Amino acid sequence: MTAYFISILTFVVLSAVLALALNVQWGQAGMINFGLAGFFSIGAYAAAILAVSGINPIISTLAAIVLTAVLSALVALGSVRLREDYLAISTLGFAEAVRLILLNETWLTGGPNGIREIPRPFAGIFDPATYEVAFLGASLVIFAVVYLLLERIIRSPFGRALRTVREDEVVAATLGKDVLALRVKAFAIGGAVAGLAGALHAFYLSYIDPTQFASFVTVYAFMAVVVGGRGSNRGLLIGASTVMVLLEGTRFLKELLPFMNAQQSAALRLLLVGVALILLLIFRPGGISQEYRLAVRTRDVESAPAKS
Amino acid sequence: MAQALLNGFIGGLLIALPAIALSLSYGVLNFANFSIGALITTGAYFAYFYNVDLGLHVLVSVALAGLSLSIVAILIGRLVYQPLGEADHITLLVGSMGVAFVLENTIRLIYGADVRTLDIAVARPIIWNGLRLNNEQLIIIVVSLAAFAVVAFTLKKTALGRAMRAVSDNPPLAEARGLNRGRIVNWTWAISGLLAALAGALVAMDATVEPLIGTNYLISVFAATIVGGIGSPLGAVVGGLLIGLVEELSTLTFPTTYRQGVSFLVLVLMLFLRPHGMFGQAKIKR
Repeated sequence: MTAYFISILTFVVLSAVLALALNVQWGQAGMINFGLAGFFSIGAYAAAILAVSGINPIISTLAAIVLTAVLSALVALGSVRLREDYLAISTLGFAEAVRLILLNETWLTGGPNGIREIPRPFAGIFDPATYEVAFLGASLVIFAVVYLLLERIIRSPFGRALRTVREDEVVAATLGKDVLALRVKAFAIGGAVAGLAGALHAFYLSYIDPTQFASFVTVYAFMAVVVGGRGSNRGLLIGASTVMVLLEGTRFLKELLPFMNAQQSAALRLLLVGVALILLLIFRPGGISQEYRLAVRTRDVESAPAKS
Repeated sequence: MAQALLNGFIGGLLIALPAIALSLSYGVLNFANFSIGALITTGAYFAYFYNVDLGLHVLVSVALAGLSLSIVAILIGRLVYQPLGEADHITLLVGSMGVAFVLENTIRLIYGADVRTLDIAVARPIIWNGLRLNNEQLIIIVVSLAAFAVVAFTLKKTALGRAMRAVSDNPPLAEARGLNRGRIVNWTWAISGLLAALAGALVAMDATVEPLIGTNYLISVFAATIVGGIGSPLGAVVGGLLIGLVEELSTLTFPTTYRQGVSFLVLVLMLFLRPHGMFGQAKIKR
């Protein structure tokens, strides 16, 4: 039971990292990434392939991050000057192309069988049970580091410029901001974080195959961001937990409806996630946590000594 | 080679049907409907339901599938997109992805992931000068061309079509002229549902019924719409035929599994060179 909770918590933290990635792209920059699962899978496969070939897992992870960041920048470059719909289409197409490569280029990706026995970093130091806890701890630390880094970016002049581009790019351009560069950078930052999440996923499971990176990954990330509050990172852990509670909590449906087979109850659970996403968009589009705004607290203003 | 051209033409017709639907809904509702793939799949399963579960004739089933999905599409429009209507079009995009997720999993819930086939009498293919055309392909050609004609007539000659084009061109002006937007939106969904269902049901006739039908067409449909110019129904037809031909001809050199990858390359190329497509207006810049 404890092992179950630890694995669930680890998945929550990993999906929260992925949601952080989406929140830079969609939340801050207003750029839709429907191919998030594709970038996530590239991170996972790049890290796995390098690690299996004997390269240090940390270096493999860094390489995966760089690769996804570069690919994200390239995808963004293609459609970034057009309306958001075009980026959504390009990213979706990109993810589809990635999926085809994962399935068909067996020499590189193992095809439908995926990659097995991915060496886990620092596996020699811990015994297996402790390792799970240590991995959860390490994931939490990584989440915290990424969170703090992104918060810094959000509060920096770059973050403000990004939100300006999101709200009105003509205004941003008039103020002398390089809209194209801002968007490509934002997308690359998000891509880097998605790559990191993918690498962690690969090392955690130590086994990856294409079914783990289907479009539901993207839907979960959107769900987590919508629940947590678009543009705000604070709510993401809760958002990711909500998705997991919805997914795991609905397992009892199987006992409630014994006539359903495993496949049907899985479909019903995903169906409920989709309905929840739509209802949230309609009734609670703001999510639980508000986006950061540059504001001066009134108390400070009132108590500030009057300049004479 | 001639056979490849013929197959590409037929494949293109199947892409063009949903591409028109996508273009129409983009024009009138101003967002790219990402649930179009799931609508195609739902259409195929409606045809399966009428044909196999109820035992109706296959052509009757195709027609009923079109009718049923029209109603479903109107309902989705009312229940999902209308309440979301005041949100920005980015939220509508995400909403349409949610709709796709719900539709696909409803199908999996009812029918599972098994590959099924419609109940069709086997007929001898027509062979003419070495060109092979089976009965189902002939039906695809006839039904698609008829559908194009009906859509073209509706858009050009009827009051509804003029109203749809007016809303598409300039929504505030259309509203000021007293056009009932709600009614036009309903009709747009009905036509979109009809076209998507026809595509799904025809694919089901020619090949198999499985939950991934729509997903396998999604990129091709978007590529066709963008090549033709998003928002232009005529462009969607031309784009669909082009993408169909390119995909078919690409299988002469690339493995068939990369069909969608080829469409994606065409799409990216088009976005770089001429993002408003062949028939679209250049104003598409934000």
